[in-house]
Amino acid sequence: MTAFSPRHGRYLAASTLALAVALGATQPVAAETFRWATTSDPNTLDPHAASSAPVLGFLNNVYEGLVRRNQSMAVEPSLAVRWEALGDEGWRFHLREGVTFHNGADFTADDVLFSYERASGETSDVRSWFATVTDVQVVDDYTIDFLTSAPNPIFPGSIANFMIMDRDWSEENGAETPATDEERYTTLNANGTAAFQLVERSPGVRTVLTPFDGWWGDVEHNITEAIYTPIQSDATMLAALIAGDVDFINPVPIQNVERLQNTDGMNVIVGEEARVMMLGFPHEADALTYDGSPNPFTDVRVRQAVYHAINVDAINQTIMRGAVEPVSQLVTPDMRGYSEGLSARLDYDPDAARALLAEAGYADGFTFSLMCPNDRYINDAAVCQAVVGMLAQVGITVDLVTMPVANYWPELRADNFDMYLLGWSPGTFDAEHPIRFLVSTPNEERRLGSWNFGGFSNARVDELLPQVQSEVDEGVRQGMLDEITGIMQDEVAYVPLYSQPILWGVRDGVSVSPRSDNFFILRWVSVE
Amino acid sequence: MSETSVEETKPAAVIDPKDAPSLWTRIKRSDVWYSFTRSPVAIVAAIIVTIIVLASVFAPLISPQNPFNPAELNLMDGFSAPMEPNQFTGNVYWLGTDDQGRDIFSTILYGSRISLFVGVSAVLLAMVIGIVLGLVAGYRGGWADTIIMRIADVQLTFPSILIALLVFGIVRGLVPPDVRNDVAVWVLIVSIALSDWVQYARTVRGATLVERNKEYVQAARVIGVKPFTIMMRHVLPNVMGPVLVIATIGLALAIIAEATLSFLGVGMPKTTPSLGTLINTGQDFLFSGEWWILFFPAVALLALALSVNLLGDWLRDALNPKLR
Repeated sequence: MTAFSPRHGRYLAASTLALAVALGATQPVAAETFRWATTSDPNTLDPHAASSAPVLGFLNNVYEGLVRRNQSMAVEPSLAVRWEALGDEGWRFHLREGVTFHNGADFTADDVLFSYERASGETSDVRSWFATVTDVQVVDDYTIDFLTSAPNPIFPGSIANFMIMDRDWSEENGAETPATDEERYTTLNANGTAAFQLVERSPGVRTVLTPFDGWWGDVEHNITEAIYTPIQSDATMLAALIAGDVDFINPVPIQNVERLQNTDGMNVIVGEEARVMMLGFPHEADALTYDGSPNPFTDVRVRQAVYHAINVDAINQTIMRGAVEPVSQLVTPDMRGYSEGLSARLDYDPDAARALLAEAGYADGFTFSLMCPNDRYINDAAVCQAVVGMLAQVGITVDLVTMPVANYWPELRADNFDMYLLGWSPGTFDAEHPIRFLVSTPNEERRLGSWNFGGFSNARVDELLPQVQSEVDEGVRQGMLDEITGIMQDEVAYVPLYSQPILWGVRDGVSVSPRSDNFFILRWVSVE
Repeated sequence: MSETSVEETKPAAVIDPKDAPSLWTRIKRSDVWYSFTRSPVAIVAAIIVTIIVLASVFAPLISPQNPFNPAELNLMDGFSAPMEPNQFTGNVYWLGTDDQGRDIFSTILYGSRISLFVGVSAVLLAMVIGIVLGLVAGYRGGWADTIIMRIADVQLTFPSILIALLVFGIVRGLVPPDVRNDVAVWVLIVSIALSDWVQYARTVRGATLVERNKEYVQAARVIGVKPFTIMMRHVLPNVMGPVLVIATIGLALAIIAEATLSFLGVGMPKTTPSLGTLINTGQDFLFSGEWWILFFPAVALLALALSVNLLGDWLRDALNPKLR
C-alpha cells in the first residue's frame, strides 16, 4: 500500500469497492489509510496507568475488556460472552474462547486474573474500579468470578474500560505492574486482543495501528492502516483537516464550528459529552503552594466566594460561543443518578463574593496559583484566564500556570496546586462514579478517591457511598445520591462549571460513530 | 623612544575640554549624521522606531486600559471587532479586543514594551558576554582562544532559537513554579542573549587580532600597561564600530526571537502578553474571522523589527569606509 499515494489509494479503493459490490460481496473491503488527529497524545499506552479519556479512549482500539459499550453506551459482551450475578456475592463471567492476543498468545481466565491484580494494585491509576471487589477466583480456563463485599448491581458496566493484558507478555517485559510516574515497557508497547494492533509508537509524534487479522469479532470498518498524530494547536489541526492531511479531528475548535460546517466537503458532528468541567480546591493543604501562606480555601466561605465570583454564562457566551451547558453537579442531567432538585447553581454575584471574603477575613484578598492544562479540554487555558479576571474583580489575585496535560497530571498528583481545572466524564454514566473518584476521602487501601487531588473529605459521604453502590432500589439510591450532592453543594467541594460538547470534524466520505464519552472507536470507521 | 618623549607628545594630542565641541555639534559634524540626513529610508525607520519606543514607554499614560491587570478586563467585551460596538456591552475598541476582552491597542503598547525591553536587554547582555570573551580570545590567544572559539563554533551549528529553547527549558525547570511567570521576562532575556553572544565574540576576536599587532597596542604593552587596561581602553574602542552594527541588527533579531518564543508558548505568559503571545492567541481565531487579534500585533511587530533592521543596515553602510 505504501507504493500508492493516498489519492491513488482512494481511487483504487473506490474501484475495488464498486467491484466488490457488483460481485455481491458482503465483507467490507480494505480501503486505505485513515489519519486522525486530536490535541492530546495519550501520555502512556499502559491501560492501567492512567484513568484519563485520551489514554482509555485510544487504548479501546488496541485492548479489550470483559464487556464493552456500543454506540449508545449500552453494555455488550466483549471478551466475556455472558455474565451472571452470584447472588449478593459478586459476578461470574464466562469468557470467549479462541481469542488470541496480538502476539499470538491465547486468552484465558488467568490473563483476566493477572489483569485484575495489575489494575487493582497499588501503582494502578484505575484501582477505584475495583473498590468493592474482595477477591477474584478462576473457576476454569474460561470462567472467572469477581467477588464483591456487597451486592454491586452496576459492576459489569463499571469495568468496561478494564483492559485485559497477557500475563506472559507483561511478565517477560518486566511490566507486571503499571507505573504512573515512570516508564515501563508497556508505556510504549501494547499487546491487546482488539481489532487493531500497534505497529509504531512515537510519543507526541505519530502512532500507527493496523487491523489485527486474528480478531474474533465481525469487521465493520474498512481501514488498512490508521495513523494518529497529536496536533497541539487547534488552528493547525483544523488547517490539517481542511488541507486533507487528516480525515478526522477531535475536537473542532469551538470558534470554528460554523466555519467548518460551511466548508465544502467537511462535516461537524456535534454531540453531548458527559464531561463536566470543574474547579478543584486544596481542602487538605495547610499552606498555599504559591507563597506558603495559610490556605484560605479550607474556609467554606472562601470557596463560596469563588463560586459566586465566576460568571459561567459569560464564559459560555464569549469563549464557548454558547456551546456549553452550565452545570450544578458533577454529572449532567442525562446521567443516571442526577439530582433533579439540586439543579440550581449559585448565582453570579461579585458583591456576595466580596462580602463572603470579608467575612472570612480576606477583605484585602489573597494570592494563589491556579493550575490549568492547555491541551486537554476545549479552550481550557482561555477559560482559566477568564477565571483569573473574574477572581481579580473580587480582589483575589491569581497566578495562572498552564501546561500540557503530560506535565499536568504529575503536578496535580504531587499536590502542586492551589486550585485546578478538571474535567470528569463518568465511565459508568452514573452519578456514583464521580463520587467514588472525586469526592470520597482518598483511601489507598479501599481504592477510593484516586482523583480527589484536593483531598475533600466528608464522613457522611464516605458512609453513604458503599450503600449507594449496593442499593438495588432506585428510589432509595436516588435519595442517597441527592444527599451526597447536597453535601457537595453546601460544602462547595468543587465549583462545577459547565459540560462541554463533543465536536468532531470529518471530511466527506468518512463515517464515524460518536459516543457520549467522546471515545473515538476505530472499528466503527468506514472510509469511502 | 624614551619615556619622556611620550609624555611630552601626549598633551598635544588632547584637546582642551573647554574648546571641545558639544556632543550634539560633534554628532552633527560627523560622517554618520551626514549619511543619515541623506538616507530617506533611515529617517523613516528612525521616526517609526522613535514613535514605537515613546508609545511603549508612555503606554500607561496613552492606553485606555491596562491589559495586564485582569481586574480591568471584562470577558463580555471579548471578540469585539475594530471600531464596532460589542454585541453584549456596546463598548467600542479602536483595534478590537481579544478573547478575554483585552483592548488590542493597549495590549500592543504594553506588548511592544516587553518586546523592546527584552530585545534591548538581551542584546546588551549578549554584547557584554560576546565582547569580553572575544577580547580575551583575540588578545590572549592560545588555549583561551581555542576553548572560547570552539564553544562558539559548536554553538553556531545550532539554530539560535533552538539554543534559546534549550536555555529556556533548563532555567524553567530550575525555577519554582510560583515565580515562573514573574521571572519569565528575565528567562527570555538570558536565553536570547546566550543564543546570540557568538556573533559578537567572533567579530570582536577578529578585530582584536588585527588591532593587537598594531603599534599603539605594542607600545602600550612595552610601557607595561596591564592586559586588562589595554583590552578595555585601547582595543575595545577600536572594535566598537562593527559591534554596534551587529547590535542594531541583533536588536531586530532579538525582538523577533522574543516573539517567536512567546508564539511557541514558552515566552511571556498569556496573562501578560507580548506581541508574540498575542499573535499566538490570534492564530486560533484566524479561521473564525477574528482577524484583528493577529493582524494588528503582527503589523506592529513587523513595523518595529523592519525599522530596526533598516536602521542597522544603514548604520553598517555608513560605517563602512569602502562604501563611502
